[in-house]
Amino acid sequence: MSKRPTPDPVAVLRGHRASVMDASFHPSRPLLFTGSADGELRIWDTVQHRTVSSACVHSAAHGIICVASSPLIGANKVISQGRDGTVKCWDIEDGGLSRNPSVTIKTNTYHFCKLSLVKKPSAHAPQAEGHCYHDETEFRGAFDLESLDGSKEKAERGLTESSNVVGEDAHAEGPNYVAIAGEQSHEVEVWDLNSAERLVQLSQSSAGGSPNISTSERGMCMAVQAFLPAESQGSLNVLAGYEDGSMLWWDIRHPGVPVTSIKFHSEPVLSISIDESCRGGISGAADDKIVMYSLDHSLGSCVGKKEISLERPGISGTSIRPDGKIVATAGWDHRVRIYNYHKGNALAILKYHHATCNSVSHSSDSKLMASASEDRTVALWELYPPKS
Amino acid sequence: MEDASKRRRELEAAVLDKVGEVISAVRSAKRVDQVICALHSLAVLLFPLDYSSLLSGSIDQRYRDQVLSAKAPPEEERWEWWQAFYRGAAYPTLARVLLFDVASNWLACFPISARVHVYDVFFVSGLSSEVVQTLVPCLQKNASDGHDINYVLSNTERLLVHCLLENDGVLQMAREFCQSEDSISERTKPSVATLAQIVASIPDKARLRAPVSLSSHLFFKQITIQLLSLAEKRDEKVLDKVDFSNKSDMDDALQFVGETFSRICRRGSADVLLSEIAPRILRHVQSLLSSDFDSAVIDVFEADPGSQFWLKMIEAIKDVYAVERISEQLLHHLATEHASDVEAYWILWLLFHRTIRHQTSVRSMFVDKFVLWKTFPICCLRWILQFAVLECPPDANSLTKGHSIRGLVDTLQRLIAVWSKKEFVQSASMEQQTYVSAAVGLSLEKMSKEELDGTNDVMHLILQGVSCRLESPNHLVRKMASSVALVFSKVIDPKNPLYLDDSCSGDIIDWEFGLATPDKGNLDASDCPEKDVLKSKASILAPESDFNHTANRGISNNVKSKTKKLSEFKFVDPDEIIDPVTLNHEPVSDIDDDNASENSESSSDSSLQPYDLLDDDTDLKRKLSQLVDVVGALRKSDDADGVERALDVAENLVRASPDELRHVASDLVRTLVQVRCSDLAVEGEEESAEDKRQRALVALLVTCPFESLDTLNKLLYSPNVDISQRIMILDVMTDAAQELANAKTVKPKHRTGPLITSISESQPWFLPGSSGPPGATSWKEISETGTLLNWSSRYERELPSKSGQIKRGKTRRWSLRSSSVQENQMEWSHNKFPVYAAAFMLPAMQGFDKKRHGVDLLDRDFVVLGKLIYMLGVCMKCAAMHPEASALAPPLLDLLRSRYLNLRTSVQCLNDTMQT
Repeated sequence: MSKRPTPDPVAVLRGHRASVMDASFHPSRPLLFTGSADGELRIWDTVQHRTVSSACVHSAAHGIICVASSPLIGANKVISQGRDGTVKCWDIEDGGLSRNPSVTIKTNTYHFCKLSLVKKPSAHAPQAEGHCYHDETEFRGAFDLESLDGSKEKAERGLTESSNVVGEDAHAEGPNYVAIAGEQSHEVEVWDLNSAERLVQLSQSSAGGSPNISTSERGMCMAVQAFLPAESQGSLNVLAGYEDGSMLWWDIRHPGVPVTSIKFHSEPVLSISIDESCRGGISGAADDKIVMYSLDHSLGSCVGKKEISLERPGISGTSIRPDGKIVATAGWDHRVRIYNYHKGNALAILKYHHATCNSVSHSSDSKLMASASEDRTVALWELYPPKS
Repeated sequence: MEDASKRRRELEAAVLDKVGEVISAVRSAKRVDQVICALHSLAVLLFPLDYSSLLSGSIDQRYRDQVLSAKAPPEEERWEWWQAFYRGAAYPTLARVLLFDVASNWLACFPISARVHVYDVFFVSGLSSEVVQTLVPCLQKNASDGHDINYVLSNTERLLVHCLLENDGVLQMAREFCQSEDSISERTKPSVATLAQIVASIPDKARLRAPVSLSSHLFFKQITIQLLSLAEKRDEKVLDKVDFSNKSDMDDALQFVGETFSRICRRGSADVLLSEIAPRILRHVQSLLSSDFDSAVIDVFEADPGSQFWLKMIEAIKDVYAVERISEQLLHHLATEHASDVEAYWILWLLFHRTIRHQTSVRSMFVDKFVLWKTFPICCLRWILQFAVLECPPDANSLTKGHSIRGLVDTLQRLIAVWSKKEFVQSASMEQQTYVSAAVGLSLEKMSKEELDGTNDVMHLILQGVSCRLESPNHLVRKMASSVALVFSKVIDPKNPLYLDDSCSGDIIDWEFGLATPDKGNLDASDCPEKDVLKSKASILAPESDFNHTANRGISNNVKSKTKKLSEFKFVDPDEIIDPVTLNHEPVSDIDDDNASENSESSSDSSLQPYDLLDDDTDLKRKLSQLVDVVGALRKSDDADGVERALDVAENLVRASPDELRHVASDLVRTLVQVRCSDLAVEGEEESAEDKRQRALVALLVTCPFESLDTLNKLLYSPNVDISQRIMILDVMTDAAQELANAKTVKPKHRTGPLITSISESQPWFLPGSSGPPGATSWKEISETGTLLNWSSRYERELPSKSGQIKRGKTRRWSLRSSSVQENQMEWSHNKFPVYAAAFMLPAMQGFDKKRHGVDLLDRDFVVLGKLIYMLGVCMKCAAMHPEASALAPPLLDLLRSRYLNLRTSVQCLNDTMQT
């Protein structure tokens, strides 16, 4: 019995002149944003497979390490993170980016950690039955009323400001936060995108409440993922992966103490993804395994579900498809691998790129996947099309 | 004759008058009784009516008298009236009134008996073909003239059911075609085809709420039964009289039957049709075969009048598509009814033996379509082959070969041509492959060795087909190959069969290959799921166990998820004391179950089948990007792969002339000379390793001459290299000298132009200058749409495209080397060789005459000497006209004059030089 041959990409987007560092789909329109190591941000039409616009948004010497877009920050916005210590938020006008960024955050960070926008469980995301006792409005109200920990004045101010801004900006809904590894690279910072102010710093120094752990114990923060679990009464949670392979889970109501800490990996955690329901996720690291875990907010526990071992180490990017069926990983070994998210069995090894893959990303309708690679191409894939 | 026609005209006029009277009476009627009376007055002239039943209805006394007073004309007169009424214009006129006005205004008030006797009678006892033509168009009428359209439609449908189904109207219609009527002019007689079309269109035209019997399934079934009863009744009487006496009318009736059947097929109900036809014809053939006849079977069929019906019916079907559908369905039906080979053959023979001879389309349908493109159960395939290819009646249980071998050979060749194609193995469905393989096998069985020899390439193609199937990973495909091979070997040498597979050791080959053929007998929609199951069983690709497995899992998961729900209610209890340790483990399994159940709910298991997970790391081998690595890889002679990759990149790396090149050059030269390229030789490679090695060495000599030459010259007379390596060294030096001599550098040509341009007076100073390539248009100001306070003006002009520039689509290509670039830049050929000439020549000349271990240029290795002299010659040529040449010439002349160079070597050297 012969297996099906591995599929080829449906399209390959060429045009970047340097390693493509990250790719992100527009939340509603057929657009793909890609950022390359020479600072160029390109917008592609994913139907016609053509460049819609191209702009050098960060200096060529530093380059872009991350592009991100999310319905939470507004449908016509895209965020680029450069290695020049800035995060810029751009408006998408017809035919391209705005001339100047609408917001520029000087984070003064010069590391390799990609920023993370907030992930919120979507209404139609696969929910585990019985758990969903917060509906959308209740949770918004809860968020507005219950501010962050009173001791953090700065955070509180930021929050009120942000809610004002939210009121003004009709497009944006929900909190416009971005989590990013901080100026001190062992810290995680949460910034407000509207006011360009830092809300909170999450330092690992007090991790586990034991003060004798030195700050350099875990090393640099290598991956972050911010999310709003339905159970958290609307307070932001952050999952951060560190250089030593450990992960910390924060609830920013309690920035002093992380919810939990776990260590799945033996090498730096390079990528963390959370699924659409915010109840589970996947992490890739520089070691030879991928770990799928479940997050239980009420218990504050992060439990590994499945560990997938790899032949060749190094996963630089992971992405869980919005419908929660499959996950994709971008490997240093030039491969994009597809796994069944529920069972964790391997589904495909996609060999197209001939250099390290930097990132994978799924479109919000689950139909397309993009893989960005150091070989300066972006490949578009259509795998296991979701039933419509 | 004239009298008759005159009389007919008079009659028609009388009928028309009467009808006009009736219509006006109906129109002006105030009471329902008046309408009944009016209609009755006409009906009584046309039909034999039963008064008592009519009177039992509730008609007013006054009108009852009127009705009773109406006199029924004698039988004969009535018949004439009837003819004139239906064949003329009277009937359509009246029918319109009846169907619209009467139906919507009065019919509801009619007593039942009156409706039957004075209303329905016009349709039921009428001429069916005319009745249908008036009724059916009514079905599509839209609301108009204030008629209650719903009532009109439902009434029409009622009448259709009544006329066509309950009173065998279709059969009557067919009979009407038989009855030769001199009085019918060809003009009024509707064409058979139109009528058949009208009849067949009824189910489609009927409304959704129409009676069930008008639904296509039941309706077609009914009219098929009616028309087929024609065949049986003909047996008794009609055939004897009419059929043979008057062919043309008989043909008309059969024409109608054929047309109707083909329309039914066209409307997608061939299965309904055949579910009636197949049993009848099977019974017919069985009855003929069972009766003992001494004469040949063919004669029996020829003589039997009932058989004529079937034969002519098929002939009457002109529509190729319909014939195809009918034969397809017939085969399937016969297969499900387990007809024997003999019966099936005679059925096919009976139906098609004439058409297959006369119509090429039918022939190609059997010989091509049914054998190559469609799939039937294997028994059907045997029948098809027997009937269409072998063309002779079969034995009790095996195919027999007829006299005409031509058809068999042709068919086999066509089959083999398709069967042996690799694309067919790869792309055709498993059922198709099984079918065609069986066809090949069955027809091959009938061939003899001599006949096979007579064909051109059948044997070759068989072998090709077998071999490409044997490679298949699919067991079934391999089995097909081995079965065909077995048959083939039996044909070639019956005593020595070839068993490629252990499983097919018996004499009889199972051409179905163990596939359960889907039972296509009951083609109702209701058994679709069952069919699906069978299909999936048939497709070997999905093992049954897997199905069961997932199904079981699905059930158990559902159970699990239910239990889980129950447990969750407990789980939420806030006061419960929880031991975190146990919880840390519990949710894991819980969530696993949860996900699994989710899986089975959405049945994503099937949609998430893994692709081929084979992963090789050939593309991940370390790419050599450093010269040091290249040297290292070249030294590892046991890693042929690495050496090859090193040779691949060596030239490019050297040409890039990195800083470290000077340091590694001598090492690299040594390893390159000593690497054994013959180990790496691949037959027919585009660029052999030897070439790559030489080009890398040339590159080294060109980019880094002194260091490389030093090593190379040492190696030239070293005892550690063999003759071929020495020759290679000299070749490389020759090439390098030539390359150095022809080194090209591009220099921009100095552009001369006036430093100060004068502006003509006519042009304002702020306009841009008019200089530019010839053909440029004059400057035009761009109109600015923006603000008026615009200080700058913009100008544009069109430039002609450059001569070398190609416009392709919208994309402009700038990178093409245009001729103008070459105009502006000049290529300088700069001879770089003379600088290195001494380094090339002197060391090589130094030691040529010394006889050392393994080095003997003057005697044994004269070929090397020839190469050496050639190399020196090329070097001199490259250095010619340069001062270095004069310095190098004397030692070279010395060498050539040397006493060691005797005549023999000189001649050989010359020869050698000439050759190269």
